Amino acid sequence: MPTPFHFHLSGRIRLTFLLSCFVFWFTASNLQSAESEQPLIELLASDAPKADKAITCKKLAVWGSENAVPELAKLLPDPELTSWARIALEAIPGDAADQALLEALEITEGRILIGVVNSIAFRKSTGAIEKLTDLLSNQDVGVASSAAVAIGKIGGDAAAETLLATMADSNSELKSAAAEGVILIAETTLAAGDNVEAVKLYDSVRQSDVPKQRIVEATRGAILARGADGVELLVDQLKSDDRVMLNIGLATARELTSDGTTDELVKSLDQLDPFRKGLLILAIADRGDDSVIPAMSELSKSSDVSVRVAAIAAIQSIGDVSCVDTLLDSVNAENAEVADAAKMALANLSGEDVDAAIADRVEDSDLREAVIELIGKRRIAAVPALLKAANDADASVRSAALSALGQVASINDLSVLIDRVNDPKNSADAEPALDALRAACVRMPDRDLCAEKLTTAMDNASQTTKIAFLEVLAGMGGSKALETVGDAANNGNPKLQDAASRLLGGWMTIDAAPVLLELANKADNPYRIRALRGHLRIVRQFIMPEEQRPVMAAQALAAADRDAEKQLVLDAVKRYPSIAMLKLAIEVSKTPTMEQEATQVAMVVAKQLTASEEAMTLLKELHYEPIDVKIIEATYGAGELQKDVTKAVRNAVGDIPYVALPNSSFNQSFGGDPAPGEKKLLKIKYQLDGKEGEAVFRENTSVVLPMIP
Amino acid sequence: MPLKSNTQSISTSPDATAPANTTAPSRRHPRRQFLKSAVVAGSAIAIPHIVSSTALGLGNSVVPSDRIVLGGIGIGNRGSYDLGCFLDQEDVQFVAVCDIKEKQRQAVKNRADLKYGNSDCDTYRDFRELLTRDDIDAVLIATGPNWHCTAASYAARAGKDMYCEKPCTKNISQSLLLAETMRRTGRIFQAGTQRRNLPHFAFACELARTGRLGKLRTIYAHPAGMTTKMSGWVAAEAEPPKEEVDWDMYLGPAAWRPYNKQLLDGFNFEKGGGLTGGGVLEWGSHCVDLCQWAANADNTAPIQYDAPDEKGELVATYADGVKLVIRNDGWLKLGSCPVRFEGDDGWIETGDSGKFVLSSPELLAGREVQEIGGYPATFHVRDFLDSVKTRSQPKANAEAACYSHITCHAANIAAFLNRTVKFDPVENVFIDDAEANRLRSEALREPWRI
Repeated sequence: MPTPFHFHLSGRIRLTFLLSCFVFWFTASNLQSAESEQPLIELLASDAPKADKAITCKKLAVWGSENAVPELAKLLPDPELTSWARIALEAIPGDAADQALLEALEITEGRILIGVVNSIAFRKSTGAIEKLTDLLSNQDVGVASSAAVAIGKIGGDAAAETLLATMADSNSELKSAAAEGVILIAETTLAAGDNVEAVKLYDSVRQSDVPKQRIVEATRGAILARGADGVELLVDQLKSDDRVMLNIGLATARELTSDGTTDELVKSLDQLDPFRKGLLILAIADRGDDSVIPAMSELSKSSDVSVRVAAIAAIQSIGDVSCVDTLLDSVNAENAEVADAAKMALANLSGEDVDAAIADRVEDSDLREAVIELIGKRRIAAVPALLKAANDADASVRSAALSALGQVASINDLSVLIDRVNDPKNSADAEPALDALRAACVRMPDRDLCAEKLTTAMDNASQTTKIAFLEVLAGMGGSKALETVGDAANNGNPKLQDAASRLLGGWMTIDAAPVLLELANKADNPYRIRALRGHLRIVRQFIMPEEQRPVMAAQALAAADRDAEKQLVLDAVKRYPSIAMLKLAIEVSKTPTMEQEATQVAMVVAKQLTASEEAMTLLKELHYEPIDVKIIEATYGAGELQKDVTKAVRNAVGDIPYVALPNSSFNQSFGGDPAPGEKKLLKIKYQLDGKEGEAVFRENTSVVLPMIP
Repeated sequence: MPLKSNTQSISTSPDATAPANTTAPSRRHPRRQFLKSAVVAGSAIAIPHIVSSTALGLGNSVVPSDRIVLGGIGIGNRGSYDLGCFLDQEDVQFVAVCDIKEKQRQAVKNRADLKYGNSDCDTYRDFRELLTRDDIDAVLIATGPNWHCTAASYAARAGKDMYCEKPCTKNISQSLLLAETMRRTGRIFQAGTQRRNLPHFAFACELARTGRLGKLRTIYAHPAGMTTKMSGWVAAEAEPPKEEVDWDMYLGPAAWRPYNKQLLDGFNFEKGGGLTGGGVLEWGSHCVDLCQWAANADNTAPIQYDAPDEKGELVATYADGVKLVIRNDGWLKLGSCPVRFEGDDGWIETGDSGKFVLSSPELLAGREVQEIGGYPATFHVRDFLDSVKTRSQPKANAEAACYSHITCHAANIAAFLNRTVKFDPVENVFIDDAEANRLRSEALREPWRI
């Protein structure tokens, strides 16, 4: 339960703080180091409650020895403790545990017996085969089935013989379990390298009257165990009208690693209809064997769309320079799926010389636009060709070329883009040129040199273009960009001031803070409020040395003359609680209209500082009165997916209107996510000093209950 | 704006101004992964269909034979959300629900029947009955974590593909058995780690995997708490009728304890086996999973796990020296479930807001990454359904889930034992460490088996 403790402060102030601890039905284990075994054994032998014996079993699973086995074995017939006992017995090394489980086969039945059988299987107790074989004739099919699988898990020749006989028994209800056991043995046999024996086992299952899923598993194994000789069986599955068998064929087409398999699979494509062919092409590609490139290139010309798209996708994965022309033949295909697949494949094709082979086709009139686009996507160093294309008579080619230049231009090529923005020969080029300039500038390793070029270019630019350049500079960041945008914010031109102050407000590094503060302190600056809020955004959201934040927040408070900005200061205080921040909250409380809100924030911060002596001293300045807080109802969730969290919220309030949840994550505090993927709300009905109110809080925000007038 | 709002660097790190890596990313993808890699390798990270929509049976109208017939097992809060993602897909027909709670069964049935305008959705209390239906191709498993691996195993043996919520396993042994069972039975398994199919997370992992960040050094995951814990045995209450709440089925593979209403919260019940549970596993199955993907470690796990330090940070080390740091604090404010990948040439951090921060904007050059906040599972569900049809492995396949869960379990064991443990990810044993090895598994309650 939450642990209340009280602070009795001098005068009228009494604050009760609840140090809430997360209380749920979990109990953190008190076992943090090895425990002595003997007391644990004695507890099992005692009249201790079953709950204590249960946890003791778990401890013995880690620290128990053969000495604990006798007492654990006594628990095996107990339906409430048998599973706990087996937790330990499965884990304790040595023959004693094996023997105890074997003996329990004689004294248990039904589900408990099944559990014992399963534990024997887990331990792979080779000496248990005989007794497990006896259980195959148990009247309880569950017991017999578990025994069959257990025999399979333990394995060995005798086990295989037993299970094959069981599987062959046409009256047996154990066919499926026996087949499962045989397959388990076959898997072990195959892993040990005895393919011949494994094939025999798998084929035995395939040829038996067992459920289809066992046939599927045996077929997979039979193909893999046969190695290269398994392709024929694999292809049989690919031709099957049964989708389940086709599926296992597709799976094994990816798994079979024997020499020659890929060739055989490619040859088999001719035997398949387009549907199967498309699926097998994908499986062949997953094998990663580039010997199939010629075949895939040919298939990429198929008249069937699904085959064609699959082949192109395969080329994307395993193709090389030899595929470039083939893929380019498809980029203008009438079918959009084919064209898109070809473009994606070309954009991602690997291998030496691919870039050059693509760039070589830039003059092909039918392919020009697509190739230029690929030059950009692949960032091929083909600037001269792009510069030429940027002057093409066709506007769409010019646009594609400019866009590609944005991806490949170096610092020395920037002037082309800058000139095209500043003085476009064709008005249609202005927008793509600006987009390209943006893309190019953010890539430049030397941001300041790039910013210098843009700053110089601004001298002769129109006002609209200047603003566009400012936006590019803001996107780049860096000291020179900041200087230029800062200058513009102090410029006498109102439109430039507007744009620059807006951009500074969204600056992504903290070096903008002094620039913003300077603007905020200029009484005649029309955008001083915007600048102050930009400064506060940095205070509230950015990473910085923690001693710097309260200093910046105090500077903002000094510049703030409206409650709205003072509220943002309080928000920073809440986000980053410290003594320095607490002092700021108290400072804000001196504004009469902010007193109540600032007091609440101060309470929250003081609580988060675990009520340190210094924090308590500071709170005396607030003349705070305790409040009678009652939570009537609280729900958390989204839409219809709501969880009643009244109890958790009640546990988290004291005599201040703040809900001190044990974790900043609401999901964690309320024992799970009631509406995964949805934006959730916490709704609280409450009373403060007998007055009723309601409040709604977004997920993972501070829960300060609004005061009720 | 020159960049989308999600692409701007707010870092104050010196790395932020370092020259960006200009090496072209490797475009060769490991076998069996190309379809999935292609999703993130395109110049625009959306989630396109690589396979012809015709081949996938996704025309304007989907004929019944192209539909995937789906059943649901344990459809509570999370399951209801997942189910919505499935119901939105044209090629899914939801026909049956199993839940141990009568109210839940009816609620899901009503929802399905309302969608299809009939009363055909069948209800089951025992999932084994649902699994006997030959007409069902795949199941959504959204029980509490206690059941995930066991139910998945039964579904696989019954020949069903499955989308299984996370955490998928209770211990290392279960993780290995899960992967082995899916291989043996030839089933498609998608863990409910949907962030693998969200563009910003996929992009972040791609940068790390393809060398765009330079040699990968340190990767960070947020566990959302590090406390290892286990569910208790609380005072017995009168058990409700089985038809209303089937307590025995609810307990399932968890060791027996008396009925108590407080325990009827599948989300929190028995998350882990052995003496450990919760801890890293809760969100690690998302965040650590993403780190595993970023480190090209879908088939392996770190080899050393140190005990959490005084700040609660736990460091695990891969064989190639990459450090996995599991920490609660020190994150940029990018939403829940954050991850961060640092290499010699740059870094990226992202979270559930859909936004990400890069050490250099050049890392984004030529790319558009959709900003999708709120971690929807729609794309992940689609990835699963496509895999059901093509038999290609989905992004969060059983092998990947196996090792991301093993990593979480091993970290939990280090935290529980409060000391360094060394792990062999080939033999899947702790090296010379009996205590740790005994925490790798836990017996299932009868009659359940994996």
